[in-house]
Amino acid sequence: MTQFSRSAAQYPLLWIQTTSFSRKSSTLDGFYSHTLLHTAVFPQNPEMGYLSKASKILRQSNYLSLSRNFNFNPITGRITNERFSMTRAVLCSHSRQNSTAREKNSIDLSEYPPELVRNFSIIAHVDHGKSTLADRLLELTGTIKKGHGQPQYLDKLQVERERGITVKAQTATMFYKHSVNGDDNSDGKESPNFLLNLIDTPGHVDFTYEVSRSLAACQGVLLVVDAAQGVQAQTVANFYLAFESNLTIVPVINKIDQPTADPDRVKAQLKSMFDLDPSDALLTSAKTGEGLEQILPAVIERIPAPPGRSDSPLRMLLLDSYYDEYRGVICHVAVVDGVLRKGDKISAAATGQSYEALDIGIMHPELTPTGILLTGQVGYVVSGMRSTKEARVGDTIYHTRNAVEPLPGFKPAKHMVFSGLYPADGSDFEALNHAIERLTCNDASVSITKETSTALGLGFRCGFLGLLHMDVFHQRLEQEYGAHVISTVPTVPYIFEFSDGSKLEVQNPATLPSNPKQRVTACWEPTVIATIIIPSEYVGPVITLVSERRGHQLEYSFIDSQRIFMKYRLPLREIVVDFYNELKSITSGYASFDYEDSDYQQADLVKLDILLNGQPVDAMATIVHNTKAYRVGRELAEKLKNVIDRQMFEISIQAAIGSKIIARETISAMRKNVLAKCYGGDVTRKRKLLEKQKEGKKRMKRVGSVDIPQEAFHQLLKVS
Amino acid sequence: MVKSTLTPMFWALTPKPKSPKQPSPAFANSTPLVRHKASVNPTTPPPPPPSSAYIHLPFCRKRCHYCDFPILALGSASTPDDPRLSNYVHHLCREITATKPHAHTPLQTVYFGGGTPSLVPPTLVSSVLETLRAKFGIREDAEISMEMDPGTFDAEKMREMVVLGLNRVSLGVQAFQEELLRACGRAHGVKEVLEAIRVVKSCGVRNWSIDLIASLPHQSSDMWEESLRLTVDSQPTHVSVYDLQIEQGTKFGRLYSPGEFPLPSETQSAEFYKMASRILGDANYNHYEISSYCKSGYECKHNFTYWKNKPFYGFGLGSTSFVGGLRFSRPRKVNDYFNFVQNLENGLVNSSGDGQIHGKDTAMDVVMLSLRTSQGLDLKCFQESFGSPIVLSLLEVYKPYVESGLVVCLDEHRKSIRVDDLNNTERKVVYMRLSDPEGFLLSNELIALAFGVIDSWNDCPSYQEAEATLKQEFIC
Ligand SMILES: Nc1nc2c(ncn2[C@@H]2O[C@H](COP(=O)(O)OP(=O)(O)O)[C@@H](O)[C@H]2O)c(=O)[nH]1
Ligand SMILES: [Mg+2]
Repeated sequence: MTQFSRSAAQYPLLWIQTTSFSRKSSTLDGFYSHTLLHTAVFPQNPEMGYLSKASKILRQSNYLSLSRNFNFNPITGRITNERFSMTRAVLCSHSRQNSTAREKNSIDLSEYPPELVRNFSIIAHVDHGKSTLADRLLELTGTIKKGHGQPQYLDKLQVERERGITVKAQTATMFYKHSVNGDDNSDGKESPNFLLNLIDTPGHVDFTYEVSRSLAACQGVLLVVDAAQGVQAQTVANFYLAFESNLTIVPVINKIDQPTADPDRVKAQLKSMFDLDPSDALLTSAKTGEGLEQILPAVIERIPAPPGRSDSPLRMLLLDSYYDEYRGVICHVAVVDGVLRKGDKISAAATGQSYEALDIGIMHPELTPTGILLTGQVGYVVSGMRSTKEARVGDTIYHTRNAVEPLPGFKPAKHMVFSGLYPADGSDFEALNHAIERLTCNDASVSITKETSTALGLGFRCGFLGLLHMDVFHQRLEQEYGAHVISTVPTVPYIFEFSDGSKLEVQNPATLPSNPKQRVTACWEPTVIATIIIPSEYVGPVITLVSERRGHQLEYSFIDSQRIFMKYRLPLREIVVDFYNELKSITSGYASFDYEDSDYQQADLVKLDILLNGQPVDAMATIVHNTKAYRVGRELAEKLKNVIDRQMFEISIQAAIGSKIIARETISAMRKNVLAKCYGGDVTRKRKLLEKQKEGKKRMKRVGSVDIPQEAFHQLLKVS
Repeated sequence: MVKSTLTPMFWALTPKPKSPKQPSPAFANSTPLVRHKASVNPTTPPPPPPSSAYIHLPFCRKRCHYCDFPILALGSASTPDDPRLSNYVHHLCREITATKPHAHTPLQTVYFGGGTPSLVPPTLVSSVLETLRAKFGIREDAEISMEMDPGTFDAEKMREMVVLGLNRVSLGVQAFQEELLRACGRAHGVKEVLEAIRVVKSCGVRNWSIDLIASLPHQSSDMWEESLRLTVDSQPTHVSVYDLQIEQGTKFGRLYSPGEFPLPSETQSAEFYKMASRILGDANYNHYEISSYCKSGYECKHNFTYWKNKPFYGFGLGSTSFVGGLRFSRPRKVNDYFNFVQNLENGLVNSSGDGQIHGKDTAMDVVMLSLRTSQGLDLKCFQESFGSPIVLSLLEVYKPYVESGLVVCLDEHRKSIRVDDLNNTERKVVYMRLSDPEGFLLSNELIALAFGVIDSWNDCPSYQEAEATLKQEFIC
């Protein structure tokens, strides 16, 4: 077991860095098209003392192990938060209201030394009000005009708006005048103008990597909790992400306007679960505006400024990149130490390539040249890179003449869910290829390799971070690129060991031999540690569900008198298909759920083949637990029987493990399909009829001579 | 006789520029009217004129419950001097006369279809024939057919028709069971059927057909067998067996759905088809087309015009013509049709349609129509017109079905070739046909497969090369 135990240090989900979900090129919503997520991991200087209050006082909690990077001390210990300015809407704030002259002039970044910069993020369980709160803060600072623009201002993607979720973390820079310690009048000066970078983060478990990246760019977070719902699974997960990053945590209890709001109960939960001081909690309603005025002062006063050395050689962290049709690759960078000027010769540590900083500036929100980026600031660099592949997120960029010790970079994404993506119409491969290329150009969180299926033709094996991620990817392919795809049943990366000592990582069940020459000596499957929070009345059905999914209980406790907190180890495979929906349905939607990667465990796994007329359909092969193979085999065969049409010959549908048939269905041959009369006037009509029939066939996928409707593949996704 | 009608099948096709056999000087100068290289240029060569004419006589006593043809229900009170009859025939003759003179040859077949043409008085039929004769000429040995329904003619009328030149009768019996005839809304009973058979035979019509419908609602296997036996006993030279097709907008379409009671199931219906094939085959009828059987030499020549994709005139309400490579359908409503005739006379419309002929469409028509016949598809001709890659692809998709017996490959002597021998260059596949009855029964599926091949034909990038390399060794 230990052999494959995937320590967090090996596969740290948290530090997966990606440029995922950046948007399409600037055509669609040009205004925000360049606003990608900027996040970085910076070396921590322990002496700097930026440990948050929360982290200092937090007891060794039972839940600590929930943190996705609990074992990740080598990195965590070095994390700190340098200075960023993730500028998006710099002009929009006071500046726009007060000074049009200023808009004409280029922005003078030297007005914002690190002491006047704050980088913070909002983290919360889904629907607790992150996006709405972000809207309010943008309005409050005049960054956007009240009532202008759509609500959930930072959720730009169509998927985000449709599903009410945040997928892509977004950043906005605000200006805010504030007098610290009430000393603005002491020397007769005005209150200083602060540059605040706000990062809205996704709430869903699949997008934790986005959250993590957001957090790495911050020194503090607003931990938003719904005053009625209280702490939920992602509240817990997100809290620990922030905590492990040593960020200052500002608790915000939102939606206090709701009749069922119970802020005191939530305060008690925050205290008992996270040891957060009840008196630190800000009470707000993003709907009515109540309490919002406390937020930014708290951000400025409680969250530390980004650290960094102006006099050290230049070190920049490459945060993100995207391809612009007109300007080439645009890199988003955070200046950790030193200063970058336009025209500087720079090099990338990972690739060793050198470039010239042709244009630099900030996201304003559009790219706004400033000619300079100072320590702690965040901006963009155009350097003539030809492909985003040259821009490795997490890479260190330095002055060519002055080599430096590279910053610890992001680790590559760990893909936990794989599925094949094929063009629904075989001839559209090029179109799909193009769409995927375009979409992944700015979304490195999806891994793509070409693969071929006898049933589906040329396609792609795609690795995703989770199910929603996969779903969202499909949706974006269809909505933004008009691609029509067939997806194979999602699978997880298994490891098979054979008697000759060889090992095989299986990302596509079809690649596992059905009758291997070498005996399989061990199979390993990835597991997750799942956090489930539910009202106590649902405990029974939830425990039943989780046991059906081969879950193993690790923890069971009360959050308060009505709410149960449970921790389970579950095979990842078991939650990949339909687990969350099932959980929601048996708890009337009250369950909250989150998970983190855990170790591989040994399991009794078998490959289940589906054969049509004796011929295996590679795209339908699955790997299942032995105890479930018979049920799954029967279900698959039945489903297929219902969706495959009768053909000119009998079709046998078999589910098999190796050479053993475990389920069988038969579709009898079509008996008759003939147009019995054909007189002269009928020729055209009859031909049209047959052409229609032909079109139907053309849309089908074929194995041997069996035509399989696309619907069959969609149906298979529904068998758990 | 079948063979003789074969050659003109692909008249509409421009010889390919690469074809060494038929260099076409016209091709080099003409701008292609259609996109695909395999498409047909309608300007060359001049197509042969039709030698067949379909005449639509739309009158019926009442509409049968399954019928969606353009007909005119006269009602049971109508008499032979009903002005609607003469008025229509008048327009029909005007249409014939006004038709653009193509380089014409005398007609070899004339077919009166309907409707119920036998409702039309012989004098009116005579005027139609006279008009045709004046316009195109009618050959001495022409096949002149008429669809006739029991109960609409007596011996005298029959004799008058024979005098006019009618020499083939297609008798719309449909069933030999009173209850089935009633359920279909037929205007006659079994008594009229038997009388009609007697009259046809007594009047010396040697070439006649009994038309039957299979898979009627409530039709049992016994009933179907009885109909077939009584048909055989009547000794017609030809039998047509049509499967009931449930059409939208008909009474049956409202009442029934295919495969569901009281209609026979798909399996039962297939059994009916096979039973017909067996009983008629045992009685020495050749199953020469999906729904047609005949004694040797009694194929319906007119219908073969359709199945060989040869041109034909169409006159009358809702009829379709296929002239100059173009199919054209006349209006299906009487007033529209009358206006059309008027406009035709005034030169405001023409009756040959317009548009372009596409190679693919022609190929599909040829495949669809010829696979309906026991003769099958003549691959040699097909390849000459459309190239060998497409023929190879056809053989490829049909291979599994050659193996399962639905498709039969034949050599030049019409001897069948086993699937293992398909790649044997010694025995070239010259014809491809559907087996009887299994292949015929699944003809839609099989033809749709061929359509798929034809459809992807232009997508094949190596078309030219494939053609160059394969031409010598394959078939021709
Ligand atoms: N009553 C009330 N509703 C709120 C408040 N804040 C947000 N909402 C609503 O809660 C829902 C979820 O908000 P959203 O900002 O999308 O949450 P997110 O998923 O955390 O980004 C939306 O329908 C908001 O209108 C609040 O303070 N009071
Ligand atoms: Mg949101």
